[in-house]
Amino acid sequence: MIDPATASSSIARQLTLTGVSVGFGGLKALTGVSIDVRPGEVVAVIGPNGAGKTTLFNAITGFVPLAAGRITLGEERIDGLYPHDISARGIRRTFQNGGLCGHLTVLENILAGLHSEVRSSIVGTVLGLPNARRAEREAVARARSLLSLLDIGRLEQQQAGTLSGGQQRMVEILRAIATNPPLLLLDEPAVGLAPPVRIQLIEIIRRLAKTQNIGVLLIEHAIELVMGVSDRIVVLNYGEKIADDAPAAIRSNKAVLEAYLGHG
Amino acid sequence: MLAQLLVSGVSQGALYALVALAMTVIYRATTVINFGHGDLVMAGAFVVYLLVVLAGAPFLISALLAVVLLFAFGVAVYKGLIRPIMAGPHLALAMMAVAVGYALRGLARVVWGREVLPFPKVLPQGTFMVGPVILAPSDLIVTGSVIATVAILAIVFYATRLGKTAQAVFQSERGAALVGINVSAFQGTMWGIGAAMAALGGILIAPVTLLYPDLAASTLIRAFAAMTLGGFGSFLGAAVGGMLLGLSELLVGAYISSKLIDITAYLIIIGVLLIRPSGLFGRQAVVRV
Amino acid sequence: MQPSIDVTAPPTTGGPSRRIFWIIPLALLGLPFFLNDYTQYIVNLILVYVLVGVGFNIVLGNLGQLAFANAAFYGIGAYATAILLYHYKVPLLLAIAAGSIAGGLAGALVCLPVLRGIRSFYLAIITLAFGELMRWVYINAETWTLGSMGLHVPRPVLFGWVLATEKQKFYLFLVIVTLIIAATSNLLRSRVGRAFMAIRDNELAAASMGVPTALYMVLAFAWSGFVVGTAGALYAVLVRQVSPEAFNLLELIVHFGIVVVGGLGSLAGSIVGAVALTMAPELLRDLPGYEELMIALMMILVLLFLPGGLATLLERATSLFRQTYYRD
Repeated sequence: MIDPATASSSIARQLTLTGVSVGFGGLKALTGVSIDVRPGEVVAVIGPNGAGKTTLFNAITGFVPLAAGRITLGEERIDGLYPHDISARGIRRTFQNGGLCGHLTVLENILAGLHSEVRSSIVGTVLGLPNARRAEREAVARARSLLSLLDIGRLEQQQAGTLSGGQQRMVEILRAIATNPPLLLLDEPAVGLAPPVRIQLIEIIRRLAKTQNIGVLLIEHAIELVMGVSDRIVVLNYGEKIADDAPAAIRSNKAVLEAYLGHG
Repeated sequence: MLAQLLVSGVSQGALYALVALAMTVIYRATTVINFGHGDLVMAGAFVVYLLVVLAGAPFLISALLAVVLLFAFGVAVYKGLIRPIMAGPHLALAMMAVAVGYALRGLARVVWGREVLPFPKVLPQGTFMVGPVILAPSDLIVTGSVIATVAILAIVFYATRLGKTAQAVFQSERGAALVGINVSAFQGTMWGIGAAMAALGGILIAPVTLLYPDLAASTLIRAFAAMTLGGFGSFLGAAVGGMLLGLSELLVGAYISSKLIDITAYLIIIGVLLIRPSGLFGRQAVVRV
Repeated sequence: MQPSIDVTAPPTTGGPSRRIFWIIPLALLGLPFFLNDYTQYIVNLILVYVLVGVGFNIVLGNLGQLAFANAAFYGIGAYATAILLYHYKVPLLLAIAAGSIAGGLAGALVCLPVLRGIRSFYLAIITLAFGELMRWVYINAETWTLGSMGLHVPRPVLFGWVLATEKQKFYLFLVIVTLIIAATSNLLRSRVGRAFMAIRDNELAAASMGVPTALYMVLAFAWSGFVVGTAGALYAVLVRQVSPEAFNLLELIVHFGIVVVGGLGSLAGSIVGAVALTMAPELLRDLPGYEELMIALMMILVLLFLPGGLATLLERATSLFRQTYYRD
């Protein structure tokens, strides 16, 4: 459980994508994709390689511009904002290829995730004024309590670049949830994790979603993980949404099977 | 007047194009920007100076020797200094290139002192008229050598096995390694070719300007200006950018102020990067963060 | 339910004590009693180069951005101070502060293209062009700079006291250098320093954590310029002669050398690097070429065999000098 005392209050907000299209040059990476993620809901995005899954994440987090459509968080339209502004509104993500800062320690990585929560002015910081110091101390305490959440406090002084792949995923997920964001985007969180740890990951993600009312959107290839973790599955193929349904229904969806098995 | 300026501008620009192309070869092959490239240019000229003035060797043989020597030096720098840290941070690679450049400059200064040396008159002197334009044989030789080099480069890259290798490595280093291309040998060769082209540039530049260790800096910046203007990483861009820079310098000098010739390259770099960072033929150069 | 995760490292707690940054300057107060005027001058020069290294390292080491404008920031700080002292007879501390601020503004200015999305080597090339442009300005803005012959800075006067000896300058320099290092250390061990490092390691990740990366890059350059500008201001007061050739590419190799040999991203490394490399130009002054050659070879050796620089050796000896990016 996240200690309520150390967690900032996150206001539940729904993410809504309406007719989102993204193009690179002449290529369309996403075409008219509409998806909702409600607070407390875990939605998985699956699809063959090149289906546009990571592009979808990049569009939501502001790293690529939309060619058409709109994205809203709660009442607010967020497409067109800078990535750091979108992050400040409470959308946090992890990266497929690992998003940790390799030369910072584990503790410093988590602290970096708390960037927008450390309330200190530049002047106060430079002069080492008491309230800047206090803000730092509080952030460090909170980062340590986050590390203890996954029982990896012992790693805090290790350089992130020297951790094993599985440890890096754990730290990155912790860093993403550090601010208690209303919406969490996980890009292949299970890569590099041993099967037993995958099961634990499922539990962590579901617990976060249900107890903290966080909406989770995740990309994953490990199908057993997807089936176990998600309330709903969205299937992309060639940049278009071809299915959006409960896991059981997706299993027997013809279009999905075709996309995965090929068109013959 | 204008015709004269255009002719001289092209001759000057051809030299910039040559150095810019040499840097592009290395950049495309290894994604390293050789911030020490100006010093290779200086080194090429310096070797010729040593051979011609101090050892009394004939110019053509000295030039050939210098080009071969710099080729070997380029390969050695890659194998000994660049390759071992290729896996490290990009900044370290750039710093290594800077350090190698400074080492060369220091070495030249150790031999040379602080003097500015007049390069021997190795190219034919005098001028002749073609219509209203005064031509110097040296202009023709310089421009001709550059065109010949570019032609050879084009043939090598588009019609030989080395060219096919280059295309494969430019697209994906890992992919090229997977299909059995010796990436290390290839990249070493490209460093060699880049250094040899730099040497040629130095041999052609020095008779026109003077020879001094800081020749490196002004050459480097002009090559960057040419690459930026043409679009970073584009061979065509480097060639066209070099020509345009040569022309701009002469036009600025003639019509605005000769004081501004020296900073034309700086202003082009700053202007292009602010207005159109991808240059004329480059790919997208900005991030969206 | 707690997941079991393979844990390989033993726990270590707490950040190292930073009192060292105050103990060393206090110990140095007695230094002038052991020095003659010339060795004192060298020590003062080392203090100047400590700031050069500390400032440059913010951009090179912490932000991870290759830049060539450092000699320009140094020159701008020196010229700003010298011009105010020479032409306008401004009080000493005010003139030094103006040099710092001019350096900071130059830093921000050079980095402004990042707001248009310019990064990595494109930015490096702009800094190179800016540096060379400034040398042209020093020579051509003769009204203020007196062109290539340079400015002769009048004898520094602090609150009515003439700083006639190197020892007197030393105490002024020591105070300024200590304050700036402490401020830089505070900045690095905060969310600002972490943001610099996050941008260096992974800019997209930094942005996704809410860091406005372009603004923080401008901030890093501005602070770097401020610190190096201060170094330039002190240089003007120390040497009392400011001319264009003091800020050329030969000067820049010393700056690169200090940071790379000392240790990229290490505050303690910049200091050690400055001590190690300030000696070289003094010893080799009359032998043209050897200075560059020696510094370049040191850089090559460090890049090949000791990527963390001399700071690595320091950190191995004692954890006091390990650079951290938080405080508790």
